[in-house]
Amino acid sequence: MILPTPEQKAQWEEEGYLVFENAIQGEDLKRLQTAFDYWADACKAEWLDRVEAGEAVATFYDIPKPLEKDPIFFVIIDYPSYYGALMAFTDHDLILLGPQVRTVAPWPVSYTGWHPDVGHSNPLHIKVQIYVNDVQPGSGEFGFVPGSHKPDAGPYTRPMRQESMTGHKTFPGKAGTAIMFNSCGWHVSMDNHSDTPRKSIILIYEKRTPGRIGPKQYASISDYCQTPERRKLFSLDG
Amino acid sequence: MPRIDAHLHVFTKASAEFPRETSDVWPADREEPVEKLLGEMEKHQIDQAVLVQMAGASIANHRYLLQCLKDYPNRFLGIGLIPEGHPNPAEHMAQLTDDTGIIGFRFSTFGGPRDIFAKMDVREFAAYPIWECAAERDYVLWLYPNAINAHLLPYLIQEFPQVRIVLNHLAVSPGAGKFSWDEFGRPQIQVTGYNLFMHTTYRLARFENVNVHLSGQYAFSSEEFPYKDLAGWHSGLLSGFGAKRLMWATDFPWILEEPGYGKLTTVIEELLPNLSEAELADIMGGNAKRILRFPDL
Repeated sequence: MILPTPEQKAQWEEEGYLVFENAIQGEDLKRLQTAFDYWADACKAEWLDRVEAGEAVATFYDIPKPLEKDPIFFVIIDYPSYYGALMAFTDHDLILLGPQVRTVAPWPVSYTGWHPDVGHSNPLHIKVQIYVNDVQPGSGEFGFVPGSHKPDAGPYTRPMRQESMTGHKTFPGKAGTAIMFNSCGWHVSMDNHSDTPRKSIILIYEKRTPGRIGPKQYASISDYCQTPERRKLFSLDG
Repeated sequence: MPRIDAHLHVFTKASAEFPRETSDVWPADREEPVEKLLGEMEKHQIDQAVLVQMAGASIANHRYLLQCLKDYPNRFLGIGLIPEGHPNPAEHMAQLTDDTGIIGFRFSTFGGPRDIFAKMDVREFAAYPIWECAAERDYVLWLYPNAINAHLLPYLIQEFPQVRIVLNHLAVSPGAGKFSWDEFGRPQIQVTGYNLFMHTTYRLARFENVNVHLSGQYAFSSEEFPYKDLAGWHSGLLSGFGAKRLMWATDFPWILEEPGYGKLTTVIEELLPNLSEAELADIMGGNAKRILRFPDL
């Protein structure tokens, strides 16, 4: 397990995010890209039908139940390059809430506005966004307001335009880059004015609280979870 | 500040003088005439209204609407329809707007790719000539986009930023197969919760020429008046679009029996109780007067 350096710890505390360049590379990245493209393509028609029926968001889609579709989606949950930091920041008491294997369409407006995901009363809530393709500036890259995760930060208001957010930083990156952030912080997907969809995986974690995720949630992948640590990560023992 | 009902329908019995299409809900002998509307408006201190064409899109089908606008030029403005697939929509639009009181047109589809990932060339959209004409002639576009069409809107809005747009009925984009009529003869639209992210149209708040009707609550709510389950949805629209771009409307006559016209004149206060007096006045008529350019009374 690669634990965070003192500098990374300090940045996490002060700014609320860390960037892991080349977090996933080589064969694992190729496997991830291949599985992503295969399943995104396979799931698209059904998603469009659901959009037509008014049952799904029109501006992006997620591959349903990815952990059951390809082992690589499982492998990245506790991937060494960022898993140590996740464990360290949650006092080795981490659970997975869920993965979002997401394709975001180029569109004149970002699919979401600036927001935090949770309030400060929530147990530490962490997301790791992994770029599956290269994400250039102006093509739906992640945006974050450093320091906005702190209880005394703000107040923040949602601007009409993403780029008008006070104090924000954007994170273009190569495929395989992982961005970890405290979800109390204000974040967004920037506008994608390119003609390339943004492909990324958003892994959602939390510091464990009893009963947060039931043992049935990930029962279908319990065969992959042979170690006590993995069983805990996937809440398989309640 | 006038109080303006920004979206409703009137129709008379089908006749040679006023031909119209018929349906189970508006059979040939049903009428909801303008005099009945005026009675309700009088009773509830509503000054002006937008009459939206229904029951046919041909020029002849618009005769009753045109008559109402002619008879009450200071009270009403009109929104027309365009026959689907019309070979020359600009000509149709021009015919209906020659000093008639019709200020814009309502439609639901834009004729672009169904797939948001497809290459978008706005000039290839079937609705492009309508938007082009609206931009040239300063028409208002009254939109109730189908769910599969809503993603096309920002491309058109970017191309024609000068066109005034009014998204109907809480900016909902109804899904295919989700429309029905209830026992009171009112449209019912099944929607999947009120998560703002579900609604592509919510993201259009960025465009300053996009406005939204606060209306049609009965069609989306699973509760009776005052439709408290829609309070969050109203707050979301207020926060996204601001009080200067929202317009109250009743969708007369569908609401006459349940909950009744009078109750609907209070629905905004019920669902947005923290509005200031000025904000409420804007939503209840000030915005419609400014955006749609209603005449002074």
